[in-house]
Amino acid sequence: MFRAGGALAAVAGAGMFGPTAAAQEAGPFAHGVASGDPLPGGVLLWTRVTPVPEAVPGSGLGPDVTVTWEVARDEAFTSVAARGAVTTGPARDHTVKADVAGLEPATWYWYRFAVAGVASPAGRTRTAPAAGAVVERLRFGVVSCSNLQAGHFAAYRHLAQRDDLDLVVHLGDYLYEYGAEDDAVRPHDPPVEMTTLEHYRRRHAQYKSDPDLRALHARVPFAVTWDDHESANDAWSGGAENHTEGTEGTWTARRAAAQQAYAEWMPVRYEPGGRLYRRLAFGTLAELSMLDLRTYRSRQAAHPFDPAIGDPERTIAGAEQLSWLTSGLVTASAQWKLVGNPVMIAPVRFPSTLAPRELDALSRLLGPLLGPPYNVDQWDGYTADRARVLGVLRDHGVRDTVFLTGDIHSAWAAELPADPLTYPLTRESVGAELVCTSVTSDNLDEILGVPPRTGSLAVESAIRLNNPHVRYLDFDSHGYSVLEVTPAAVRMDWFVLADRTDPASPAAHSVSFAVPAGTQRVARTGEALR
Amino acid sequence: MTGLSRRRFLRVAAGTGATVVLSAAAGTARAEPGPRALRVYVLVVDGLRADEIDPVLTPNLHELRANGTNFPAARSLAVAETIPNHVMMMTGMRSDRTGVPANSVYDQAHRRVRTLDQPADLRAPTLLDRLAATGRVTGSVLSKEYLYGIFGERASVRWEPFPILPVTGHAPDLATVDALLAMVGESDPDLVFANFGDVDRVGHADLTGTTLRAARTAALWSADLQVGRFVTELKGSGRWLSSVLVVLADHSMDWSLPHRVVSLRSRVDNDPALAGKVEIAQNGGADLLAFTGPEAERPAAVARLRALALGTEGVLSAHAPPELRLGPEAGDLVVFCRAGWRFTDPTVWSNPIPGNHGHPATEPIPFFVAGGHPSVRAGVTSAAQARTVDVAPTVGALFGLPAPEGGYDGTARLEPFASRPQ
Repeated sequence: MFRAGGALAAVAGAGMFGPTAAAQEAGPFAHGVASGDPLPGGVLLWTRVTPVPEAVPGSGLGPDVTVTWEVARDEAFTSVAARGAVTTGPARDHTVKADVAGLEPATWYWYRFAVAGVASPAGRTRTAPAAGAVVERLRFGVVSCSNLQAGHFAAYRHLAQRDDLDLVVHLGDYLYEYGAEDDAVRPHDPPVEMTTLEHYRRRHAQYKSDPDLRALHARVPFAVTWDDHESANDAWSGGAENHTEGTEGTWTARRAAAQQAYAEWMPVRYEPGGRLYRRLAFGTLAELSMLDLRTYRSRQAAHPFDPAIGDPERTIAGAEQLSWLTSGLVTASAQWKLVGNPVMIAPVRFPSTLAPRELDALSRLLGPLLGPPYNVDQWDGYTADRARVLGVLRDHGVRDTVFLTGDIHSAWAAELPADPLTYPLTRESVGAELVCTSVTSDNLDEILGVPPRTGSLAVESAIRLNNPHVRYLDFDSHGYSVLEVTPAAVRMDWFVLADRTDPASPAAHSVSFAVPAGTQRVARTGEALR
Repeated sequence: MTGLSRRRFLRVAAGTGATVVLSAAAGTARAEPGPRALRVYVLVVDGLRADEIDPVLTPNLHELRANGTNFPAARSLAVAETIPNHVMMMTGMRSDRTGVPANSVYDQAHRRVRTLDQPADLRAPTLLDRLAATGRVTGSVLSKEYLYGIFGERASVRWEPFPILPVTGHAPDLATVDALLAMVGESDPDLVFANFGDVDRVGHADLTGTTLRAARTAALWSADLQVGRFVTELKGSGRWLSSVLVVLADHSMDWSLPHRVVSLRSRVDNDPALAGKVEIAQNGGADLLAFTGPEAERPAAVARLRALALGTEGVLSAHAPPELRLGPEAGDLVVFCRAGWRFTDPTVWSNPIPGNHGHPATEPIPFFVAGGHPSVRAGVTSAAQARTVDVAPTVGALFGLPAPEGGYDGTARLEPFASRPQ
């Protein structure tokens, strides 16, 4: 959820939807290349072409064109493994997706596109290990909440510079709907809140014009899911907090536009009308279930004391997805059950002992707080669905489930109590949750208006006291995480940026937590992964 | 199998001053003297949970695991009870082939619910007898009366558990390890199958199981001490360098509060179509239901039973036995409870013990391979989902023993070995 904080900019210049300059300067492949959703025998390739200067994103202009692609075993493309061609045009905003099959498992490949004799930059990608294969190690970049207006994507650059990642998991809020803000580090294009297909397409194009994001996409395959800001803040199946029915059109139309642009612009095996939630497998070591917690969810509860929170008729995942998730967890043949989970599942009870200013800052982050507050946009607002998921883990003795989570612009390592009443005595947990912080989006110190690691510390301590299963919490930092998966443990390293407004910002390792195999517990661990 | 008339008894003084009595088939009591390439010890810490292995509380188990190959995804197989899983370990076959689906079943021939503790209950060959048939010496040191009962005289050398504690029906770990040491010292078998019962027996009865687990913790500490005693003895006698230890549990343990009980008996008896026609074998976390009415009524009655069970609070699932690879001995329907619950049949007072197993929540188990044999890989963790049924194919492969007729249902787990120890 997470409000972006700050008022929306006035709509000055709202009607002036000029073409993005970048598109014209960089030739037909201005938005880079990307890959995603690796399978043992294939991977999805993505690009966007600008065949004629007027075919700018969102314009609906330009001819249909045929784009060729090739996949090679080497960077020089001397050993080509697969070739093909795809026709695109204004109907899909000149985006290209090729679902390549027939590749070898657990193999690095290089790929490129061409249109009218002009080749794209080359991208690199990696297929997943074969089903049943013994895998010694996986490493994933884990990111979420990349608001272009709030800073630069140095986090993506640091991930792109690593040479050890098999995949990048983006947990949502890949882009934000807000119009250009007065105090933006980089103002959004279009400058208005995106509500139409043209807006969503242009915004995607602006994000993919970022050199750091392009570099990361070209280097490693992604597994993505959306949270709310890909459509509008606090989206649910019938609307959104940041949607006004009527003046902003119908939610049905707006969400359809957001989903169409997402399908067009993201390297994901998803098309409108299909389902975004899916499972990727990595031999016997791990599988990754990517959730969609916006499309099927019931409206958020009005406030934390709303009895609707526990109403079994309300859902965050939808009945079908929830069954898919729980049956997959029970029958998984892989050791580690990783869940790409857009919003936090660990119960978090916010203490009532905080000062008014702290409570105010939290409420600006999380929504209205009354008494001991819960974030009703998280699984905390849908406790029947959560009880079902955690109950299945406990009842079936499912081990080694780790939720990878974004959304909340802060770093958390938490256990998932089997029974909250006895947990303080037994520490019996059914799984773990590791939450990456935001790439750029505002967090607590920025909302409190205090330097990092000062005013937030008291809030963090109070929350940890109230929530003994929360083993780590950093409300201030921006950056990225690196997840390592081995048979012995899953561990996450958190890296924090020195300054999100500096495109050249360095990043430093802040902390690492591990989930040792079979324990369902999180434990602080040593040095950063090399 | 060896007939009673041909067995002989060995009296061996144990280190603790007790006298251990072993029985053996005539002529096969002692392995050939001289240097040996391989000794395998399958040590079952009954009911141990993997998360209870801890550097402070159970330092010996912890060190063995750290210096061996660990399978953190290991599981027991349905029904997660002691007898069927020990049988699966030694046969490498699922229960529909062994004839042993649970501890307690409804015996259709004798029309009563009983424990599967007779040698004839186990229909499949085991490693203990198959390996002995090749001229090797095998041993069984089983702390529970019913385990000794069902495995009978399959091993070349056996210990009959003694002294048996009242109520629990098992010998304490101290006596079990006395017997193990005596057997290894006297007969030095190529393979020993040992079961330590304290952790399970104390766990069942621990009234603080849902929170403090006070008694359980003491049992863990003492069981670990006994495992340490055995390892020390192997090292002291020089056997360590030829030893492979397969350490695992047969199931884990789950505790329930007194009000979290499921009793299907009264619900069945209140149903006019089922009353008097259903027998229930209660297995803690699982109920095995058998329809005893007219054959023509069976399909409808089983469907009715299923609906009745699934409509009962605390019930997790209901299965036709073949779904779980259980044979006809399991009756018509196997019902599992949720974590934190237990079955208590026939009455709500029948099962007062807080610690139970048999339901899926108790399937995760510790499972690791350790030992001083140079082929044992140290510090390895495997993602493979090892199962109790994997023990026989693994140990069989180490000894070069061919698979039994019809093959194994388990998988030989050879990740722990740099090379075949032979």
